[in-house]
Amino acid sequence: MTAEGEQSTVRFTVDGETVAVVGAPDRRLVDILREDCGQTGVKRGCDIGRCGACIVLVDGAAVNACLVMAFQAAGTAITTPAGLDRMLVAQVVREALIEEVSFQCGYCAPGFVMSLTALFLRDEAPTTDAILTALEGNICRCTGYHSILRGAESAARKFAAQRNGAAEGQTS
Amino acid sequence: MRVATPTTIEDAANLLARSGSRAIAGGTLIQLGWARGESMPECLVDLSRLDLSGIDTASGTLRIGATARLAIIERDRRVADGWPLLAEAIRSVAAAPVRNLATIGGNIAGGVGCLWPALVALDASIDVITDGHFATLPILDWFTLPAGALLLAVLIGPVPADARVTVRKTGLRAAFTPSIIGVAAVAPIVSGVFNAPIIAAGGGITRPQRLRASERYLHGQASDAVDWSAFRAIAAHEIETQSDAFRSARYRKAVAANALAAGLGGTTSLPAGRPSRLRQPTQPGGTHQSIAVSRENLAGRWGVRPDIAAKVAGRLIYLTDRRSDDMLVGRILRAGIPHGLIRTIDTSAAEALPGVVAVVTAADIKGINAFGIVEPEQPALCFDRVRHAGDPVAAVAAGDAETAARALALICVDYETLPLVGSFEAAMAADAPALHPGGNLRLELNHRRGDIDAAFARAAHIVEDIYETPRQMHGFMETEGGAVIPEADGSLTVAVGGQHGSRDRLQLSRILGMPEEKIRVITSPTGGAFGGKDELTVQPAMALLALKTGRPIRLQLDRAESVVAGIRRNPMTIRMKTACDADGILIAQSVDVTSECGAYASLSPAVLETALEHVAGPYRIDNITSRGRLAYTNNGICGAFRGFGANQMVFAIESQMNRLAQLAGLDPVEIRRRNLRVPGDPGFFGHPVAPTERLSEMLDQAALNPLWQAPRGRDDRGRLIGTGMALHHQGTGLGSLPPDPGGGRLTFRADGRIEAAFGLDEMGQGVMPAIEAAVSAALGCARADIVAVVGDTALAPESGSTTAARGTYVIWRTAQEAGRPFAAALLTLAARTLRRPAEQLALAPGGIRDAGSNSGALLMTFAELAASLDENERPGETVAFHFPTADYKDGNARYVFCFGAAVVRVAVDPVTGMVAVLDLDQHIAAGPIVDPAAYLGQIEGGGGQGLGFTLTEDALMRNGAYVTGNLDTYMLPSIRDAPQRMRVTALEDLDDGDPHGPRGVGEIGIGAVTPAIAAAIADAIGHYPAVTPIRPEEILDALARSGVHEGSQ
Repeated sequence: MTAEGEQSTVRFTVDGETVAVVGAPDRRLVDILREDCGQTGVKRGCDIGRCGACIVLVDGAAVNACLVMAFQAAGTAITTPAGLDRMLVAQVVREALIEEVSFQCGYCAPGFVMSLTALFLRDEAPTTDAILTALEGNICRCTGYHSILRGAESAARKFAAQRNGAAEGQTS
Repeated sequence: MRVATPTTIEDAANLLARSGSRAIAGGTLIQLGWARGESMPECLVDLSRLDLSGIDTASGTLRIGATARLAIIERDRRVADGWPLLAEAIRSVAAAPVRNLATIGGNIAGGVGCLWPALVALDASIDVITDGHFATLPILDWFTLPAGALLLAVLIGPVPADARVTVRKTGLRAAFTPSIIGVAAVAPIVSGVFNAPIIAAGGGITRPQRLRASERYLHGQASDAVDWSAFRAIAAHEIETQSDAFRSARYRKAVAANALAAGLGGTTSLPAGRPSRLRQPTQPGGTHQSIAVSRENLAGRWGVRPDIAAKVAGRLIYLTDRRSDDMLVGRILRAGIPHGLIRTIDTSAAEALPGVVAVVTAADIKGINAFGIVEPEQPALCFDRVRHAGDPVAAVAAGDAETAARALALICVDYETLPLVGSFEAAMAADAPALHPGGNLRLELNHRRGDIDAAFARAAHIVEDIYETPRQMHGFMETEGGAVIPEADGSLTVAVGGQHGSRDRLQLSRILGMPEEKIRVITSPTGGAFGGKDELTVQPAMALLALKTGRPIRLQLDRAESVVAGIRRNPMTIRMKTACDADGILIAQSVDVTSECGAYASLSPAVLETALEHVAGPYRIDNITSRGRLAYTNNGICGAFRGFGANQMVFAIESQMNRLAQLAGLDPVEIRRRNLRVPGDPGFFGHPVAPTERLSEMLDQAALNPLWQAPRGRDDRGRLIGTGMALHHQGTGLGSLPPDPGGGRLTFRADGRIEAAFGLDEMGQGVMPAIEAAVSAALGCARADIVAVVGDTALAPESGSTTAARGTYVIWRTAQEAGRPFAAALLTLAARTLRRPAEQLALAPGGIRDAGSNSGALLMTFAELAASLDENERPGETVAFHFPTADYKDGNARYVFCFGAAVVRVAVDPVTGMVAVLDLDQHIAAGPIVDPAAYLGQIEGGGGQGLGFTLTEDALMRNGAYVTGNLDTYMLPSIRDAPQRMRVTALEDLDDGDPHGPRGVGEIGIGAVTPAIAAAIADAIGHYPAVTPIRPEEILDALARSGVHEGSQ
């Protein structure tokens, strides 16, 4: 059993690099990532997990960084938008969203990319309903969502084309 | 607060048994509570290291460990197959990313979780440690346990194969919503008879409960012969619940009873209403040139905005992302009370706190402590009085956010509280305290034409109602903030999201007592504005801190502070009485509008003027009286918001038109056609308006819309389907009274790219792609040849405000006026180098081509041309002009208009009274499309905001404080609230000789949405909602009043 006082050191990885954060155990991951780690691609929108702008991957699952307190992050592997640069699935998602001009102000965009990447990592051929479920936690105020949906569905087609291409490659 | 992380159940139980400790698993619910002001425990007992997250079905009983995350349970095949009711209930909890954190134990332990009804109906048990002992108890016994009990697991037995089961959560929007009430039932059927059903309700403020009387009623009844109306009455009667600011107890009871009856007996047991069925419009003849706006359809014109890749990658540095080593964190102290006199402000304790670098108050203001776009009346920092809870009183700069927050708490402000002025009516009361020297009535506008009394006296049909519209929040995702930097040369850089840099600079100059030349204002990129960053927000406090400390200051309001401090849409109450003759010709219209501007006027007077400019809609009405009054209150601040008063009024007038059509026996297109303005008619005030009116064409588009042919009646989910429409026109530009300067600059850069600089702001709406598209089109080069420079008073000339759908025109006209001489200059210079006559050359994508050749081959690239020039030879062209306006000064009149029609199909849920928009089609006529993606984005995005205005959004105030303090209760539409389908068409042509080019579409996408939804609801159920956001309880009442059930029509 461990009991931690007001200040504690928490270790976890951010985009593959180990970080040690000293501070109150209830500091929010969103602040740690933005202020200590310089990851401003993680956006602050509501601070209570109700907009999705700060979503990151924690051990591969999309979660609101504002709802994760420092002690809860201990020992986890965190992926920020910058960390997605190395992830092929995220590249396909981003490319589709860019082509469809899915965003306007773009402040919500990193969170949407995170949710969609987590979805496609789990399910390469999601139904429209599964896409909607994956994006229920992301609020966009500019677009009315349809440009984002077109981007998500375009990404799904790109993954399908990749699979078909791979399948053709195998049969030929 | 300390965190203990036990690794054994015994340790955990012991820790929890101590007072002041509280268990935490996912922590999502706890943090919502803290955000709402609940106190933190002394010790958080982190259960995550206990081995309590397993899911087991080995014995046929589902056993879920308390710390199992909801997302894991949701995706568990065994749960989905054996206990689908639970899986469905879990999908209604919060949203996917929250379910990746939240645990089933946390949902249960809080007592308010959305899973409670399902778990009770499934007859779940819980394993707990309480008072040092292990016990397995019925789940409802959780509420009887003493504090400190440790929940270990939930156990659910097998669900009978032959049973009717149902679960349903009703909230405030379609998904990711707090629970208004939830229900669940498991009703086994033995030999066709209900046997020992379990029926439950709970969630949110409704305590989890078994509905025993309802169970008794069903037990023993043949499942196909239940009187579901009687069942509903019993269920509604026995549910114990409460009212809150959002929904009444009566509504909760009705919805719960409906959901149970519909879930167990089918939706045909609910009232279906009496559809009013708008007449189908007659399809017009002739050809129509509207085009579908989509990437597929406009592939050749589709451009990708220059900032999108960085935005999608999270690489774009917003102003709130700016950081530097010596930067301090700023925080602003808000009044916290809606109305009071300031006796003293003592900042000494805050200043003494280590880590605090400076505290500023009104005493630090060297200039005029007042600002306001229309009239400077809002203090930068309050000194004698506070007029709303978000009024700024002081600000601190500290080395880190935690210290800044602590410092705020150490500032002592002694107030003498004053009585609250909480509404328009209260403001107008004879004994109301005056909020400003001129009294509480900020503005009254009156207009009269014709003989209204005689006209009403001879009317064949009259419709009168009172329309109410919400205090809508802009809800930009990036809250107010940025960075303010004192520069080495004594100047100040203010990089804060805004909508008019040069005006922000002027206002700051007055406050700071600093010459404008010494202030640089950067306003782009901004993460959304919609009018809410038009007025100064946090700039004054930040600038004062930067000047006092001599160090850069960063500040971003958290959402809760943004809610308290920010500007809202003016809520309006519009009493409207409209008359037509027997042929449906409008003969009289009387309008009385009351609204409030909150504590300071900001742009509210202009909003009210715009509303009253639209009282006749796009129709000819000979006899009109209108009155509008705007009052000061202590309810926050209201002002500019997309639509700017027009959309409120359009809701009223267009609803009146649909209702008169029914009375007159006309279809909704025909009544409008009979009353439409005719091209060439003067504007509302008798002033001239620009050519290219496209109202008739928009009516044609509405009539041709295929949604009229779509099925109505009930859909496969029992919802009631209806279709409706509305017409809309909205002016662009600031109007005939205020100065409305436009302009821009083209420059040939050393790298051969063409810089197009505008003092407009990129807030997401697409100024940059519009610049690329318009300038490249005017010059004949490629979009990639253009570099858009915006939102920086040091880098761009005055272009006017980025409001009122005016940016597109400013860009287009600059491209035309500056483009011609600029292109000529480039060609002359190229001609010199190429030793050919300039007339033989033309600009092309990437460079200069032979004007006589279509090969596309370049004679030289722009980069080569630039390299051949001395710095002082590179051409530049700056233009300045005034936005086109009517020469009319007796009122603020718009001159250039956009036109649109919306056709909407809705589904009204007879269980909840909630409305889903299935189709939202918007037909727009606004001249040529400049950038298709931005055009589509503005119309779809405006539609989304219109949908929220109509169905889910209202910033509720009680006693001068926001009830909807954050996005957990202020319901911006989620992706599940978006229409299933959205279509946008554009009619691009202009009248011959129309000199005004493309119209901005920033505002035309919102106005028609609300009345079209209202009309579709009326089409479905026969009731015309007049209060927005449309109240589900009103819809249920209307359905109940109709008394019409399936089969009884």
